[in-house]
Amino acid sequence: MTLDLTIFVDYGPRILLGFWMTIKIVVLAISLGLPFGVVLALARRSRLRVLSWSALAFIEIFRNTPFIIQVFLIYYVLPFYGLRLPAEQVGVLALAAFGSAYFAEVIRGGIDAVPSGQLESARAIGMSDLQAMRHIVLPQSLAIILPPLTNQMLSLIKESAILSTITVQEMTMTALRVQGETFRPFEAFIMIALLYWLLNEVVAIAMRALERRWTTKPVEGEA
Amino acid sequence: MADKYLELIGITTRFGDVEALQGVSLSVARGEVVCLIGPSGCGKSTLLRAANWLTPPNEGTVRLDGSVVGHAPQGRATAAQIRALNGHRARIGMVFQQFNVWPHLTALENVVRAQMVVLRRDKSEAEAKARQALADVGLSDKMDAWPERLSGGQKQRLAIARTLAMDPVLMLMDEPTSALDPELVAEVLAVLQRLAEIQMTMLIVTHELGFAMRVADRIVFMEAGGIVEQGPPQELLSNPRTDRLKAFLDKLSLTTLPKDREHAEI
Repeated sequence: MTLDLTIFVDYGPRILLGFWMTIKIVVLAISLGLPFGVVLALARRSRLRVLSWSALAFIEIFRNTPFIIQVFLIYYVLPFYGLRLPAEQVGVLALAAFGSAYFAEVIRGGIDAVPSGQLESARAIGMSDLQAMRHIVLPQSLAIILPPLTNQMLSLIKESAILSTITVQEMTMTALRVQGETFRPFEAFIMIALLYWLLNEVVAIAMRALERRWTTKPVEGEA
Repeated sequence: MADKYLELIGITTRFGDVEALQGVSLSVARGEVVCLIGPSGCGKSTLLRAANWLTPPNEGTVRLDGSVVGHAPQGRATAAQIRALNGHRARIGMVFQQFNVWPHLTALENVVRAQMVVLRRDKSEAEAKARQALADVGLSDKMDAWPERLSGGQKQRLAIARTLAMDPVLMLMDEPTSALDPELVAEVLAVLQRLAEIQMTMLIVTHELGFAMRVADRIVFMEAGGIVEQGPPQELLSNPRTDRLKAFLDKLSLTTLPKDREHAEI
């Protein structure tokens, strides 16, 4: 099979539009899913049973069912309850919910890894539990949280391809259309494979930079 | 003891089936230094941690200057009760055996952070206060150091500075020198001694009988979840009334006590 380069030229702009949609959806899903993941992680550790059990139920449901089924359920079932959302919004919500369940577990692991004396000394000096988390525990858990958090972000980006099944005009959907019109699957899919790779590579590099910036202390004397 | 500044009344704490404290009552006067001694597992740390409700007791009341610290042992605390407790904790300094300095903050930031977050002091005021507190514990040259570069003794002095900057009215110390190498103990004890000299009210759990002898106004001997005997250091240690305290001191005398007894006679 030889590459038909004209496909890249003719259909490239459409693929790029799909790429832009993928970026928008993923950025929104992470911006919603990450804070919600923090909330879930804190709720999971709460002494209030209602809170910790609801968080646990949410996490277990979204971690232990296939993402494609979650998407179908949200997309096809919500309208029966009168909630009819555009496919893009369903896509963002589903990705955010799915991502937050994994983010929550990563964050909880990071929080648990900070020695209990740290939380204790913060509470003993008069900080509320939230202040202690915000100022003392979470900053210390960043070094532990960031690498697995990056992994979860990368897999969230890849899972966004599933949204093509509910007609979201993201990159995979666009490639499927291009392939349908041109009967050239190789060109269509190699384009988006490269773009997914590019997006993930950028995210991974950015996260590594954050890791270095947030978790490396300046050497004594430089400060 | 006429003035009851800190009052622990009928403190009972259970861990599962184990009753760590059995209705213990103890009060500390303003400016008084009280040392809690006793074998490990006797409940002295648990009693100390009841004073700022870090280990809430199952029964009992804590009062600081007449106002109740913590909330009813049973039932859930209201938001107002939690705020009130945090207000009390801000005024009760606590020093831990394992220092618990915050490794992601420099020495100065360690002392600044809680002042800003809890007391809402602005940055310049908090920093001025922090510099003073660090100077008081002899760490002026370590302001910008990260805790991991500090020795154990310096870490503990940093932890003390962190609580001093909050203008505490009472200090609780949970074996402040037990995790230190022997040669670093003296520098921390010197700081505690200065606090005693400026009339800081302190409740100290310690194994350093020599130190207790020098700074304590009163030594309280605990065993098996209760107070067995208490009194002025000289009297208590040189003339124990109970067999249990005698046995405890005899055990210690194998290592440290002969020196301490000499101290007592000086």
